[in-house]
Amino acid sequence: MGLNWGVISQYQELFIRGVQNTILLTTVAVVCGTILGLFIGLGKMSDRVYFKVPAAIYVELFRGTPLFLQILLIHTAVIPGIWGLFFPEAKVPEAIFSGFVSLTLNAAAYIAEIFRAGIQSIDPGQMEAARSLGMTKGMGMRLIVIPQAFMRMLPALGNEFIALLKDSSLLAIISTPELGYAAFSVAKNTFERYPPYLTAGAIYLVLTLFLSRVVVRGLEKRYSPK
Amino acid sequence: MKIGKKWLATLALTVGVGLMVSACGSGGQQASGGGSGSGAGAGDKVFVVGTDAAYPPFEKMEGDKITGFDIEVVQAVADAAGFKIEVKNTGWDPLFDGLDKGNVDLGISAVTITEERKQKYDFSDSYFDANQLILLPEDSPVTKLAELKGKKIGVQSATTGEQVVKKAFGDTYEGLKGYDDTPSAVDDFFIGRVDAVVADNAVLQDYAKKVKDKKFKLVKDDTFEVEHYGIIVKKGNTELLNKINQGLKTIKENGKLKEINDKYFGQ
Repeated sequence: MGLNWGVISQYQELFIRGVQNTILLTTVAVVCGTILGLFIGLGKMSDRVYFKVPAAIYVELFRGTPLFLQILLIHTAVIPGIWGLFFPEAKVPEAIFSGFVSLTLNAAAYIAEIFRAGIQSIDPGQMEAARSLGMTKGMGMRLIVIPQAFMRMLPALGNEFIALLKDSSLLAIISTPELGYAAFSVAKNTFERYPPYLTAGAIYLVLTLFLSRVVVRGLEKRYSPK
Repeated sequence: MKIGKKWLATLALTVGVGLMVSACGSGGQQASGGGSGSGAGAGDKVFVVGTDAAYPPFEKMEGDKITGFDIEVVQAVADAAGFKIEVKNTGWDPLFDGLDKGNVDLGISAVTITEERKQKYDFSDSYFDANQLILLPEDSPVTKLAELKGKKIGVQSATTGEQVVKKAFGDTYEGLKGYDDTPSAVDDFFIGRVDAVVADNAVLQDYAKKVKDKKFKLVKDDTFEVEHYGIIVKKGNTELLNKINQGLKTIKENGKLKEINDKYFGQ
């Protein structure tokens, strides 16, 4: 069976651009998703109904529906709709923007749950101690509980990072120029199946291994509570 | 009841995995069931026609029926040459894959006859001539593809439209946006995600009819070559290819092809 691996070098730029965009998309989504997820996680734990209910609904919606559909909806309906309403003169941003938005919103839902679990795993005595030192509830959260919770969350956050890196390949469906799209596009254009898909698979594997070994372990070593 | 819970979980898992495996099994069988010619008599063999039914007006889904110009042509060819066919919506990629594996016998899906494709598959004679058009904003001064350098151009992946753009600006041109289907590219053109779309004239004109209220123009670049659509079979399947060509010849001569052509593209 003759496989034409030459197509990889022929389209090498597409793969390089794809890897860059995959890393960029995932990193931005994790950072923005962590910030958004913190607020949603806190919202879910809030005693106030008007924080709690929307946050809970948000998490259920984004965790309970396929990311694939979220991407399609956001790219083809939500974003053009918003632009049509608010910036009718401007051009609707491209697929990569839709990619950032959908990955961030999806990651935020998962990260919200990670935050909630992390915060609830901290001994209530910590908060009591903070309160008895005269701190407000907010200060106790900010200075005592969340920093400790964050350490405990690192492994789970690392997993989310890896999951997101792989899931970002779903953005190929809206022609976001990421790694999955590169493979898809080369396969379609050259009628070669194995080389593009195996190449992309190998690159994803290298990326996730690198992430799990270097980034996550490194962070855990540095910040682990022990 | 700790044990009970564990047991339940195991049961659920087993059932779940079992279902998945059996689903895969039957799915696989279904996929390979069609048309992998067993030694049945040639008279009652039904040839499987693969198509990507998302390319109006050539092939599209109407409810659960596959219709379009190509479908009528292939049916007329089969009738003229005296063989039975069954049309399946395989999608573009699996169509070629199916030809390789033998679970699709022939393909008709507005496939342009190109040298690159000829190396892997055999084509019938041409049954339709097409050319590429550029969809542009109404006030655009552009007259040729070359003037779009640096701009974002939408195409349907793996179509001649994409090849034309690649030929002009290179295989990995950054502004090239490959879509899964032409209407998506056109939709993105109208909301400004791409500056132009390059696609087959028939498809663009068909879609343009549907969006009469929008402002745009279609530009023909004279440097684009005219393309010929052909019916595609596995390389070396000359027996079927001869039948198809014979049928094509018949419908060209008796006016049937022109009749179908007028129905879809008549003025």
